[in-house]
Amino acid sequence: MFDEKTLTESQEAEARWRAAFNRLGERMESNGRPSETQSGLPIKNAYFPHDIEHLEFAQIGTPGSYPFTRGNLAAQYQFMSWANQPVIGYGLPEHTRERMDYLAAQGMVGYFGRPFYNLVYDLVSHEGLDPDHQAARGRIGQCGMAVYSVRDMGRLFNGLDLRKINVVHITYYQVIPALAQYIAYAERLGIQPVDLRGNSMNWYHQSAYVGMSAFPPDQALKLAVELVSFCTKQMPRWNTTNFFCYGIEEAGGTAVEEIGLMLAFGKELVRACVVAGLKPDDFLPRFGFQIAQANDFFEEVAKIRAMRRIWATTMHETFGAVDPRSMQVRIHTHTSGAVLTAQQPLVNLIRTTLQAFGAALAGTQAMEVSSYDEALAIPTAEAATLALRVQQVIQEETNVQAVSDPLAGSYYVEALTDQIAKAALAIVEKVEAQGGYVAAQQKGWIRAEVERSAARWRGLVNSGERRIVGQNCYVRAEEPEPEIFEVSPDVEQIAIERVRELRETRDSARFERAMYDFEVAAKSFAKQKVSELGDDKLMLAAIEAARADATTGEMMGVLKSALTWGPPH
Amino acid sequence: MRMLRDRGFEVIFTNFLIAEEILSSALQEDVDVIGISSSSGGHMPVFEDLLAGMRRQGLDDVLLVGGGIIPPRDIRTLKEWGVAEVFRPGSSAEDLIDFIRKNVRGVSL
Repeated sequence: MFDEKTLTESQEAEARWRAAFNRLGERMESNGRPSETQSGLPIKNAYFPHDIEHLEFAQIGTPGSYPFTRGNLAAQYQFMSWANQPVIGYGLPEHTRERMDYLAAQGMVGYFGRPFYNLVYDLVSHEGLDPDHQAARGRIGQCGMAVYSVRDMGRLFNGLDLRKINVVHITYYQVIPALAQYIAYAERLGIQPVDLRGNSMNWYHQSAYVGMSAFPPDQALKLAVELVSFCTKQMPRWNTTNFFCYGIEEAGGTAVEEIGLMLAFGKELVRACVVAGLKPDDFLPRFGFQIAQANDFFEEVAKIRAMRRIWATTMHETFGAVDPRSMQVRIHTHTSGAVLTAQQPLVNLIRTTLQAFGAALAGTQAMEVSSYDEALAIPTAEAATLALRVQQVIQEETNVQAVSDPLAGSYYVEALTDQIAKAALAIVEKVEAQGGYVAAQQKGWIRAEVERSAARWRGLVNSGERRIVGQNCYVRAEEPEPEIFEVSPDVEQIAIERVRELRETRDSARFERAMYDFEVAAKSFAKQKVSELGDDKLMLAAIEAARADATTGEMMGVLKSALTWGPPH
Repeated sequence: MRMLRDRGFEVIFTNFLIAEEILSSALQEDVDVIGISSSSGGHMPVFEDLLAGMRRQGLDDVLLVGGGIIPPRDIRTLKEWGVAEVFRPGSSAEDLIDFIRKNVRGVSL
């Protein structure tokens, strides 16, 4: 990209700079440690034009053009900002609704002025249980909302026009029951699936590095394909899949692993959808990504630019995608929770501000900014408001929204983007060499990689090499006890009474029939190969079960049994 | 877990939903220490059931510790109930190892 004269001057400039830098280093007792990103990628202490001389302009490109390194669209935030998408969910559906209404009144807004509700289900639902199960005690309405049925959805969304809102269903593995219940609820309002907008997680492979029980990875992949198949035909406005990159980072993975492992998984899912008879351009435009924004400011920005480039080139070159939307990485940013501290919690506001700022410079599509009390409990209303204000101050006061991909052309940012892209692609190759993501998971390779990174991070923090303000430096001996959010204690009893009442008052004949059919469909599904999917029988049976007022626990019970749920494989 | 193993501890990892599963594993393996990790709330009933079960099964002298996202008020209650120590975010493996060495029942390590 540079002519010979510039390159020569650049090299000479670096030589002069290096001599001066080293002289300073001698005087200042530098510790002599080489500089590196938090992923461990080596970086220089100043960058020059020749550092990006190996790049083709086409790899950087322009905002809105392949390979989308610089952003999905020509306009980034000039006409419409990213969506505020804080995670909301606790207690009874009515309690969650209070917080939804409150944050909307504080300015929380999605695209085109639409309310976007990013809703998380509780621990009971995440375990695929009902609130009257023995193991539900202490978990009802914790870390999420106690929503287990179509009737609960009615309590949650009462009065809202589902055609005018976007709803993200943050589930664990109860993806299909939650979607089925939402569809069945919409039907009761006279709204067809085609008019629904929102997101399913469609993510079952946390089990690669998190020790909780799960569906076996091969069955889980089929479940993901089933939902993509159904929604591609019946719900064209529904975002089917949320690649949970964030989970890799939270489990201790590096920035490089976060995008490398997820690209590898993405390839596996796309391959499976193709084998099931779907065309990439038909389903890729409805895939989205949940990406962490952690502490290494420039690495995190470059990570996002790198992911856009390698996803686009992979979808195009490997799968023949031609629709730009098939190649774009639509991002929901979740600022890192793992780097937040329980000590001096207000300091987390500073961390999350810097992280959100990085996400804005990188061109995210939506943000959940962690609240400052993240390491203590779910957010108080005050903490949730401040987290929203972080987004609003960046949007309204910093003027960064005027320019698309403002960091482009920085020698450092372009060099680092390329460095991360190559390192991530190297991970993809390693996974593919083992036969793909599911095979690598079954061998335990994914887990070993993430655990190694987590152990490395832990070691760096323990030794003090990775400094964390308030934790291993600038520690305060006495800490005032912060206000901690508490779920109302009567939630448990009410939730249990509601599910009992549901069972007593629903049409039991319809329920029995629907559950029988769902069981038959699940058993047949368990035996099907990916190539035999595409008739959506499991999804359709799930929706009928939801119509018949089946609970999450009842539906998950059927799936767990048919697909041999158990300790992670 | 890896750090504990590196220091010579035999570590049995078990995921669980209810206290009974922990108890049966603890009895079977004849453990000296039970450590519960909880980062999503819902820990109080688990500890309550576990402590009651430990008393019932004669596991009183097994050291019980906890860790994760557990607020200070709950930590006070847990200690009153008989949990030996709770390690909050920011604690290190060293803290845990030191504590175990000092407080575990008479086993020479």
